[in-house]
Parts: sequence; C-alpha cells; structure tokens
Amino acid sequence: MSDLSSWRGEQYLDSAWLGPLFTVILVVFILVNIKRAGKGKDLYIRRINGLNAIDEAVGRATEMGRPVLMVPGLSDNVNAVVVQALNIFSYVARIAARFSNPILICCYNAAIYTVGQEVIRDVYNQEGLGDKYDPDSVRFISDRQFAFAAGVSGLILRERAAATFLMGDFYAESLIFAETANSIGAIQVASSTQITQTPFFIAACDYVLIGDEFYAASAYLTRQPVLVGSLVGQDWSKILIASTITLGVLMNSFQMGLFSHGTITEERKDAAYKPTTDPTTKQPGPRPISLEDTFMSNLFNPQTEKDLKIQREPDPNAPKKDAGEGGGA
Amino acid sequence: MNLFLQAQPSFWTAASGSSDLFLKMAIGLALAFVLMFVIMKAPAQLRRPIVFVFTFISGLFYVLLYFWPAPVAYEKGTLPRDFVETVGVTLKDGVGIVVPITNVLTAFLLGLGVYSVLRIHLRKIFSTQKDWAFSAVLVVSMFVMIAFGYADWHQRLGPGASALDLPANWGVVNYGRDLLFDGMLQTMDAGMFSIIAFYILSAAYRAFRARSVEATILLITALIVMLSLMGAVTYFTDVKIMGDPKPQDVSYSFTLTAISGWIRDTFQTSSLRGIDFGVGIGALAMGLRLWLNLERQGGNA
Repeated sequence: MSDLSSWRGEQYLDSAWLGPLFTVILVVFILVNIKRAGKGKDLYIRRINGLNAIDEAVGRATEMGRPVLMVPGLSDNVNAVVVQALNIFSYVARIAARFSNPILICCYNAAIYTVGQEVIRDVYNQEGLGDKYDPDSVRFISDRQFAFAAGVSGLILRERAAATFLMGDFYAESLIFAETANSIGAIQVASSTQITQTPFFIAACDYVLIGDEFYAASAYLTRQPVLVGSLVGQDWSKILIASTITLGVLMNSFQMGLFSHGTITEERKDAAYKPTTDPTTKQPGPRPISLEDTFMSNLFNPQTEKDLKIQREPDPNAPKKDAGEGGGA
Repeated sequence: MNLFLQAQPSFWTAASGSSDLFLKMAIGLALAFVLMFVIMKAPAQLRRPIVFVFTFISGLFYVLLYFWPAPVAYEKGTLPRDFVETVGVTLKDGVGIVVPITNVLTAFLLGLGVYSVLRIHLRKIFSTQKDWAFSAVLVVSMFVMIAFGYADWHQRLGPGASALDLPANWGVVNYGRDLLFDGMLQTMDAGMFSIIAFYILSAAYRAFRARSVEATILLITALIVMLSLMGAVTYFTDVKIMGDPKPQDVSYSFTLTAISGWIRDTFQTSSLRGIDFGVGIGALAMGLRLWLNLERQGGNA
C-alpha cells in the first residue's frame, strides 16, 4: 500500500505535472500581454488577406444587390469556435447593416441560432438600425450534416448570394458549400478549424484563414487592446513550443547517438527502472537505445506505477453486493 | 455528504417514476422560470455582471476538474482520506451531472429551432411566395417524421419491445419509420455525400494550375500523392519500371510510394501539427477570454 499524499493527484504523478505546468505558463503569457496591451503599447499584427477582403466582399454584394451569406460551422454546441465565428460575422453584419445589405446566417444547431439572433440583433441596435433587423436573417436549417448542406446549398443558389463567409467547424460538406457558391460567382472567405478541410477551402475559395488566423481575426478587425495582447501572448506560447521541440530534437539526437545508436542496460517500465534484455541472446543484457528510452520521451509520456494502491476506509453507506452472488456449484 | 451520490437517500434524491420525483421536478422547473423572469427584469447595466457570474462559475468547474488533485487509485465503496480527496471525488462525480446540462439546454433550444423553421416556411406557404410548394413538402415531411419516429420510439419502450428486433413483428408504424429514416433520409444523406466526388473534380480542375511558384509546387505534390493512391499506377511505376525494390534498397527511396510517404511524413504531418498547435493555443486564449469576461461581443468596426 502506498502512502502517497493526497496533494499528489493522479494528473501530477510521474511527469504528468508537465501538462498543467505548460497550461499555466501559456495562460500567464496571454494574461501578461493583455496587461501590456492595456497600457497602450502598440503591438504589430501582420497583414491577413482574407480579413482585408471582408470589406471588399460586402461592398461587392451591395453593388450587386445580393445578400451576404454566413455559416458559423457545424458545431454541436456553442463553443469557442462558434463564438469566434459569430464575432467575425457581427463585424460583417455591421458593415452590411450600414449599407442596408441583406444578410443570411445559416445555423446548424438551435443553440447557435439563439446566440446568433441575439448577437446580430445587438449589432443592428448599436448601429441605430434596430427597425431594419430581419429576424429571419438568422435561421436554423437542420442539425443533420447533409440535410444542412442541402439546405444551405439551396439557399445559396436561390438567393444568389454575392459573398459567402464559411467559418468554424466544417467536415465533408465544406466542398459542397464552396463549390455551390463558386458556381454562382460568389466571393468566398473561409476558415475551418478542422485541418483536414482546409485544403478543400484553399482549392475552392478566394480567401482562406488558415489555423489560428481564424482566432486572430477579431484582434485584426477591431484592434482592441485585450485581443491584440492575447494574440501576442499566443505567439509567445508558440515560440515556447517551438523551442521545446528544437531542444527535444537536439537532446534526443545526442542521447541516442549522433552517428550510431548507443546501448542501455536499464529501461523504464511502469514508472520503475528494470534491467534490459539483449535482443539477440534473449538474456539480461544491454540493448540498443530507442526513442522511448530518451529523457524527453519519458518527460512527455508519463507512466503509472503498476498495482498502485492507496489505503482508504470502506464507505459504510456503499451499496453491498447480494449474498447470492458467487455461490458454489 | 456527497450530494451527487444518488444511491444514498437524501432530500435531493427520489425514486425513479415516483410522485415525489415529479413534484421535485415541477418545483425545480417553477423556480427556474422565476429565476429567468427575475433576470429578464434586471436593469440593463446588470446584464453583463450576471452573464459573467454564470460563465465564471461554469468555467470554474472545469478548471478545478483539470487542476485539482484527483484521488489516486480511487475505488468505489471507499471514503476519501481528507478534504483534498473529498473535493476531487465530488468534482469527478459532478461530471455526470454537469455535462448533461448541455444536452438539456440543447433539447430546450431545439424547440426554438423548430419554431424558426416553421415560422419561415409557414409564412411562405400562407402567402404563396415563390417555391412555396417546397416549403409545404418540408413542413409535411417534418410532421410525418415526428409522428412515425415518436410512435416507433414509444412502442420500443413498451413490454413488446424486444419482439420489434425482428422485422417480421413490425407494424405499420415500424415499417413507416424504417422507410422514412433508413429508406429515404439515410439514402439522401449518402447521395449528398457522393456529390462531393464530383465537386472534388471541379475544384481540382480549377485549383491545380501552374499560375505561380506556390501553385506549381501544390500541383506537383498533389499529383504525386494522388497517383500514389492508385494501385494500377504504383504497380506500373514501382514494380514494372523500378523493378519492385525492397525497403532496404537505395532505389526504393525513388519509388512513387516512398516519395509520397516522405511528402506526407515530413512536409504534411509537420505542417498539420504546426497548424494544430496554433489552433489549440488560439482556442485556449479564446476560452480564457470568455471565462474571464475579457471578450467584447459585437465586433465594433
């Protein structure tokens, strides 16, 4: 029986503390830079073509007298991706409202529909155009993937959208949206958090926000200090991760041997060191070092002690097993 | 006392299907409506703090679940050793209660979604706008599916539910649900999925052009990877032309399969992981801003 302290939680055993520590460091980076930006420090963001094209796309739709269609992805719940998509769409809706251009937001989930309604209604009220807000501009289509795809494609074709914004979680239906909009000559700005769908958007859309350009969008468009600071904090985090990867590559290369692999006599299994077995003789002896034996591999792959047991008092209120269970033959 | 331990009788528990349970549910629902009414009547300047409180408490649960030391090797039927383990056990037990709250919310909100669909399409039908017939088809289909689906589900809860595993025991309702769902909806889903194959052709025809250096690189790598997925092509290039070299041979590195694998293992995988890192950190930052109420909605231009 182990007398491990209760403060040594399951998620902190062996080297598993590294994950929470990394998370805390990333959070500190983000919060520190939010504070720095709040002090008026001017922080640089590089040019993102897809976001510069928003004004152009909405202006084109206004000239053609055709609506702007937006899809906040196929998320099952209102999550960070959906909130960010709605942030970008509120910017688009604001510009469209100023030009009195109709918009259409097609929602996959009823929760997204209700949040989207409130966000867009607020945008119109802030612009002083509350009476021009059309509740049917934000609509729930379907929560089945291809029924949603069929519904949105039909809307794109019937309403002849001049600009489409596809941002959020997309799956197989991404190409259906992109190709349908392309068939009517709509200008398209897209972004998917699913990296498997990004290549489809790149092939079919005019502008694509790749990876965290999607999350940088609200900082880029509004230049709010909190958002810009958060973006810089994210960049610091990426530098930390890249440095860790570089350090890991160098350490592994030296530990395993630059020109030939070294040998080890002990290996780590179930959080304990045990003697190795020679692969040729099958007897205890040295064997060539592998990737799993390196320090960095053990650091990022924590192991649990086999048969770890902690002494605890039995719960008197716990339901007891029936007397008849496990009876004899 | 562990509030979430349903096996232990307390004020917060009631027997399944009992009138006590329904009474407590009704009281809970009434209190929820009262709370909703009070929040709706709150002054506008209190709206943001109220949202912040709810958001912060909801997020705090998951933050604590991640950081608070979870009991090591905890077995059911034992007592936590101290306060730290008690909190850890309570948090773990709470997951089963907190997570379904999202499902409950979604179920309520689905009603609003159905209302949105009906409002738009019924208006089209009654004012006979363009394409109103399609709206009629949608509304009729929705109610027919609801009717058959609910009736079939209700039958499968009854005493003869196990008999319905065999199609020979099906009635009109069961056949109807099967026809509507498996026969029509699933088939139409498959049809829509199949359209993607043709869209890939048209997208590739437009995109894979040597317009610039980057486009040329995209074209060449896409061609290599796509050709390597065709068995007939790899047989011709790797076996007939290259002589089917073994992996330990130097010439194996120049086969179509090896080149395609190298492109996927070096360029593609590392790029995708790099994008994943950025997206993950972006999501973390976004979640942090939402939790701490640092995110301003509305996107002021």
